[in-house]
Amino acid sequence: MRFSIYRFDPDKDSQPYMQDYALDEAKIWPGMMLLDALLELKAQDETLSFRRSCQEGVCGSDGMNINGRNGLACITPLASLKTPIELRPLPGQPVIRDLIVDLNQFYSQYRAAKPYLINEDPEPEVERLQSPAEREQLDGLYECILCACCSTSCPSFWWNPDKFLGPAALLQSWRFLADSRDRATDLRLDELEGPFKLFRCHTIMNCVEVCPKGLNPTRAIGRIKELMLKRSM
Amino acid sequence: MSRQAHGLRAWVLQRFTALYLVLFLAYLLQRFYTFPVQDFAGWQAWIADPLVNLATGLFILSILIHAWVGVRDVVMDYVHHTGVRVAVFAAIALTLTGCGLWSLRVLFLAVIRGSGA
Repeated sequence: MRFSIYRFDPDKDSQPYMQDYALDEAKIWPGMMLLDALLELKAQDETLSFRRSCQEGVCGSDGMNINGRNGLACITPLASLKTPIELRPLPGQPVIRDLIVDLNQFYSQYRAAKPYLINEDPEPEVERLQSPAEREQLDGLYECILCACCSTSCPSFWWNPDKFLGPAALLQSWRFLADSRDRATDLRLDELEGPFKLFRCHTIMNCVEVCPKGLNPTRAIGRIKELMLKRSM
Repeated sequence: MSRQAHGLRAWVLQRFTALYLVLFLAYLLQRFYTFPVQDFAGWQAWIADPLVNLATGLFILSILIHAWVGVRDVVMDYVHHTGVRVAVFAAIALTLTGCGLWSLRVLFLAVIRGSGA
C-alpha cells in the first residue's frame, strides 16, 4: 500500500515536500486503522513525526488531513481510503514538523469561549442539580474532544484565525450557554458580539462534515445567533 | 455605531432583506406572467402606481443593504490590510449609494410623469 506524506523539518528543510512510502501488504490486517499503518511506517523511518496517544478516537491527538479531508488517523479504517493515501498536517496552522501543527491559536480561541461554568450564586450543600431535560440540552455538545479537525477545515478560520473563534470554540460557547447551571449568558453573548468572533461563520458546514464525533457546530452557532436575537428584542 | 451593529444587526438585516427580495421577485414574476407589459407606455403606467413605486423603492433599498452586508463579509474575510480594506469599503459604499440615488431619481420621475399624464 502506497502513501504520500507531507514532510517538513524546520532545522533541515527550506521547503516542505511530499515523501512516498510503501507498506508491505503482508503487514496489513483486516480492520487495520490508518494510525496502525503510520506506526509501521515510523518503524521504517523513525524521522517521520506525528502526534498520537489513546489510539481509539478519544484523545484527539492524531487529527490530520487524510486524502484532503480532516480526520483522526486512529479511527479511519485503512480499507476506506483511496491509494496512494495522501497525508498532510491540519490545514491553516503553522507546521512544527511533518504532521505536527502548532495549535496555540486554536487553544487560545477555546480559552476565549470561557469553557467553564460561571455561577456566582452561593454554593448549595449538594451539587447544582439539573433535571434530565436540562441535562439533555448538553448532548451533542460536551462530547467534543478538541481534535481541531473542524476549526482547521473552516475557511473562515483559515482567513481570520486570530479574530474568529472557530467552530470548536463556538460549540463550547453554546455548551455553556445551554447549561441550566450557568449564569453568565449576558457576559458570554456580549463577548461574542461584533463582526468577527461569531459572525464570520457563513454556514459552510465543513465542520459538520469532518467532525469525527458526529457533532454539529453549525447548529450550535445558529442557536447562539437565535439567542442573541431573542435577547436584543 | 455599536459593535453589535456590525454583527447581529447586519446578520438580521441580511435575512430580512432576503425575505423581501424573494417576496417581491415572486410578485414580479406573477404580475408579468399574468399581465405582460406590451409597450413603454405600459411600463410607465405600471411604475407610476404609487404602491408599485413604493414597493420597487423598498426592493432597491433591500438589494443595496443585502449587497452591502454580503460584499462587506467577503471583504472582511479576504482583505486584511486596514488601508486597503477602508479603500475597498469606500468604493463599494460609493457605488451602492450612486446606484441608490440613480434608482430614486428614476422612481421619482416615473411618479411625476405618471401624475402629469
